[in-house]
Amino acid sequence: MDLLEYQAKDLFQQIGIPVLPSQRITSTQDLKGLKIPYPVVLKSQVYASGRAKAGGIRFVENTIDAVAAAQTIFHLAIAGQEPDVLLAEARYQPDEELYLAIALDRSVACPVLLGSRAGGVDVEQALNQVQQVIVDQDFSPFYGRRLALGMGLEGPLLQSVTSIIEKMFRLFVQRDLDLIEINPLAVNSAGEVMALDGKVSVNDNALARHPDLVSLSPAVLPARRRIREVLPPGMSLVELEGRIGILCNGAGLAMTTMDLVVQAGGKPANFLNVGGEGVLEAPPDALAARVEAGLALLGADRTIKAVLINVLGGVTGCGELAAAIARGLQSLSPPQRSACVVRLLGRQFEAAQAQFEDVAVPLYENLDEAIAQVVAQSQGKTG
Amino acid sequence: MVFSADSKVLVQGITNSLGRVYTPLMLTYGTSILAGVDPGAGGDTVAGVPVFDLVSQALDAVGDVDVSIIVTAPYAALDAALEAIAAGIRQIVMVTDSVPPLDMVRLLRKANATDTLVIGPNSPGVIVPGQVLLGTHPAEFYAPGNVGLISRSGSLTYEVALQLTKAGIGQSIAVGIGGDRIVGSSFQQWLQILDEDDRTDAIVLVGEIGGDSEEVAARYIAEAIDKPVIAYLAGRTAPKGQQMGHAGAIIASQFGDGGKELGTVESKLAAFEAAGVPVGDRPSAIPHLVRQVLQSQNCQKKSTN
Repeated sequence: MDLLEYQAKDLFQQIGIPVLPSQRITSTQDLKGLKIPYPVVLKSQVYASGRAKAGGIRFVENTIDAVAAAQTIFHLAIAGQEPDVLLAEARYQPDEELYLAIALDRSVACPVLLGSRAGGVDVEQALNQVQQVIVDQDFSPFYGRRLALGMGLEGPLLQSVTSIIEKMFRLFVQRDLDLIEINPLAVNSAGEVMALDGKVSVNDNALARHPDLVSLSPAVLPARRRIREVLPPGMSLVELEGRIGILCNGAGLAMTTMDLVVQAGGKPANFLNVGGEGVLEAPPDALAARVEAGLALLGADRTIKAVLINVLGGVTGCGELAAAIARGLQSLSPPQRSACVVRLLGRQFEAAQAQFEDVAVPLYENLDEAIAQVVAQSQGKTG
Repeated sequence: MVFSADSKVLVQGITNSLGRVYTPLMLTYGTSILAGVDPGAGGDTVAGVPVFDLVSQALDAVGDVDVSIIVTAPYAALDAALEAIAAGIRQIVMVTDSVPPLDMVRLLRKANATDTLVIGPNSPGVIVPGQVLLGTHPAEFYAPGNVGLISRSGSLTYEVALQLTKAGIGQSIAVGIGGDRIVGSSFQQWLQILDEDDRTDAIVLVGEIGGDSEEVAARYIAEAIDKPVIAYLAGRTAPKGQQMGHAGAIIASQFGDGGKELGTVESKLAAFEAAGVPVGDRPSAIPHLVRQVLQSQNCQKKSTN
């Protein structure tokens, strides 16, 4: 879960990373009670990057300017998002802007410190200048010094930047972050450092053990997330742009099924993974019920014109799965049902065939045949 | 081989839904599960297996074990694994999925320092067909044979295994290294194990998008593996930036918005091509490719004899 800038800065402040005096603005009324002296910068609080280029960050000298700028920013969608909150912040004149970040390097399964002297908006153009230090043992400040030296820093600045990295690392571990980034970390003529902008992303799997961060999750979720939130535990949905709905159990099987549909000339609308049989929150003895619930979710999406059910039963026999599918087919619309193909793999396939004798939906054991059939169905051919 | 019918096994988290379903299935397959652990459930039994509150209590009662299988809740998995390592267990199978990545960073540092093999998390574990089941593989999909199978998936491993079995090609060992972003044992570790395993004549590697473990494996195959390897890659048509069911299956920039894009299908296919590893375009193509490499291997053996 990504945090907004002001939420990230709250965390920075708690851990002792210097940030500017600031105030949250939820309506233009709030600007009349502004406690920060002008000049002030108003910043759109959206999750998208590139706010400055999009016009979401404006400098203002007085209340009249501020109200006009705030009205503009509140109505400015950046990457499809309009802000609910603006951040009003004191203006700051940096001499230099640095880039600092900590992320998880999955190749080596270690955190990695990243830093560059070319901070600010330049960093994406200057990625080849980003220094990296892998934290391969317990963290100690020398890792930070290594990074700061690699960035070409020296003297008091070496020390102050190392201290910022130390605090960033503490946050990274304490809060189970995927990413913490300060860009820019401003340095002024007195050699003082200040976090002018920050990005924090909390690992989704760890979120539940940070209740104070859970409460920061946005009230209105982006459309794709919204659908995911209503899914029962252990299920996941990937939305695509075609017409064939895919229901599978297990991520690997779902990816392969999607690939095969595309390779055969079909266009998947989504794939719904109702969960394999090795997931604690979706126990194996509930697979049949989850398949049935998954079909109800697909049936509710009327953009889906054909349905492929590809389910593999390890613990659950094919007979039981077929019975659940036969019940779940009732949730599909009649046109969806007439363009539905079932593929089952596992023991007692004969029992599934017996279950499907009275069901007007083709049942396959061979995956390639099932794929060819559903692609033909989606294209209006009857195969 | 690392695992055999003689392996003595502990199950941590044995009283939850996964423990209750898979413990009897493993016992039926012949796996020697001596004890289970679940804090607060000491004194219970699951499928006749005695349950203890602590790993050390379990080992005091039943003697040393070789392998611990962890099926706990995600936030309890790190603690369970550290407890197993502290008790001297050096092989751990983590079936539990969605373990926070930084928990895995901590665990793997400990595992490296103690020379402990950690398989998973989000792993179906290991099956040596006809001998031992350490995890959640559906045993009836497998048959004993000479092909090693290593994969990042559970369900897809079963699909590929059954395609092989139906084609009359048995397996020497099958392992799922896990679908989470940070996992313990790597493709190369298993390639090395299978390369040294007398019962294995060919290896099938089932990869997927996300991360760079296929690229690293491909380079390792070219450098160090003598036995023929066939690959398959899932997620070829996946959109970028979306997590495809597995926490680890995502094509994304390496670090936030910065850094090179990691995990693309193009990069993985190019790596396999450079290493001379044939890649099946569908699961049903794998048995044919395996048969081809086994035949040419037999020819080579005959011509050198």
